[in-house]
Amino acid sequence: MLVDVHAHLWKGSYEENKKTILRLAEKYHVNRFYISSLGSLYPDKEEIAELNGATCAFIKEHPELISGYCYVNPSLENSLETLRRGIEDQGMSGMKLWVATFCDDPRVYPLAEKCIQYGIPILIHSFYKAVHQLKYESLGENVARLAARYPEAKILMAHLGANCYTQLKPVRYLKNVSVDISGSLYRKGEVDYAVKMLGVRRVLFGSDAPEANFLVSCGQVEESCLSEREKALIYGGNAVRLFDRSVPAGSISEKERK
Amino acid sequence: MERMDANCLIGNWPFRKAGRSTLEELRKIHSENRIHGGCVASLNSIFYNDPFEGEEELHDFLKGTEYRQVMTVNPTLPGGIEDIAEGARRFEIAGVRIYPGYHGYALSDPCVGPLCAELEKRRLPLFLPLRMEDERLNYLVTPRPVTVREIKGFLSGHPNLAVIFLGAKPYEIESLGEEIAGRPNLFFDMSGLKDGQFNVERFLKNYGDKKLLYGSMYPLYCLKSSILQLETAEIPDSSKMRIFSGNLQLILSQNADQPVSGC
Repeated sequence: MLVDVHAHLWKGSYEENKKTILRLAEKYHVNRFYISSLGSLYPDKEEIAELNGATCAFIKEHPELISGYCYVNPSLENSLETLRRGIEDQGMSGMKLWVATFCDDPRVYPLAEKCIQYGIPILIHSFYKAVHQLKYESLGENVARLAARYPEAKILMAHLGANCYTQLKPVRYLKNVSVDISGSLYRKGEVDYAVKMLGVRRVLFGSDAPEANFLVSCGQVEESCLSEREKALIYGGNAVRLFDRSVPAGSISEKERK
Repeated sequence: MERMDANCLIGNWPFRKAGRSTLEELRKIHSENRIHGGCVASLNSIFYNDPFEGEEELHDFLKGTEYRQVMTVNPTLPGGIEDIAEGARRFEIAGVRIYPGYHGYALSDPCVGPLCAELEKRRLPLFLPLRMEDERLNYLVTPRPVTVREIKGFLSGHPNLAVIFLGAKPYEIESLGEEIAGRPNLFFDMSGLKDGQFNVERFLKNYGDKKLLYGSMYPLYCLKSSILQLETAEIPDSSKMRIFSGNLQLILSQNADQPVSGC
């Protein structure tokens, strides 16, 4: 099973992006993509509505393949209603936070509480940059603060925090935080390092396609020192558990424990 | 189909444990991916006060193997040109790598001209990494990436020099489209094709199959990430063969010093 928990449609390129994702699915036998639609860094209400509309349309076109995250800008006063609509009316499966606010901004708290009620994961863009860090771009420490405040929240920290060697330690003891390997991260050894820090059950496959190359992420898993069983967890097993609303955050079943 | 790696390294990358490799480790991963030989450079030479000491180490590992040595030169240091001559004589080097971003100079600086003239004389290619790691992931040191603008100026001043760009991203390759189309001696390895999908197909559509080389940048990058792109590319087998080895073999065959006997 192959589940990509991190892919996008980009404003202005919806149709082109959809074609690319469908082609990737066919060519590489992807069972499911979890999509969020993104545009400007600090979107207003209208843009948010358009973006989530694009995600929703893609889900409806290909329900057998596409699931979606509801993208919210926590600085907008209607963000809670946006989340409600996305999950209850538009059939989305998670919430996406990008760079409009830090993920531990108090304006995120009611959103996180709602996600706990829904039992859905929160995908958080987390990206340390040695250069060109954005003003509200979350780091591992921001993710850790939100996760510690809400241990029942299912948090998916994206991109291994970009620099896994500095960004994973803040979340390593927070069992409700998983990470995805998506993005333009292509250094050898990063999947092994993430597994060493967090354990294999908290590492998920993602690509950040269509912007980032799908096969780069595949290569990272393939070249890791993990067993085939462990790779299968990263490729899909962990995602199935994370998106199962009946499974509490950070839990491991008795079977898995054994 | 013979496979070679135009861009791999052994030695220590000082910023993380995974960034180190021995010849045995390199051979193991190459063997697992049906790669036989290629061009190897020394990570240590980038950081040594005298890079030539790193080259002597590298030669001790590579001599008698299926691999060719690519010599690292810092042209801001005295004696670099003589080192190239000695490297050609003692190590039968396949080319020279330079690191303007790490060694603190621009391609337009006066120290670069004599190095290029020496390479042209010997018909050796210049291996030019645009970066060793994504700039956003730098730690402790912040090397300056080589820019497209800088490259354009450099290329216009050295029309006869064969240049193999390493780690170039798709948008950087596209920005050099005019230069690529205009001269036959510019080449790119695959290690920087990390953005977008179906990069190999797009490269071949735009520039043909004679300018792309398989190069992994192992051990800094995942070898599998680049080799999967070529293995799954929807291009003719003859093109894959060129990219995997034919183009590199052709470049290496131009070397004026080859074959070197008695070394």
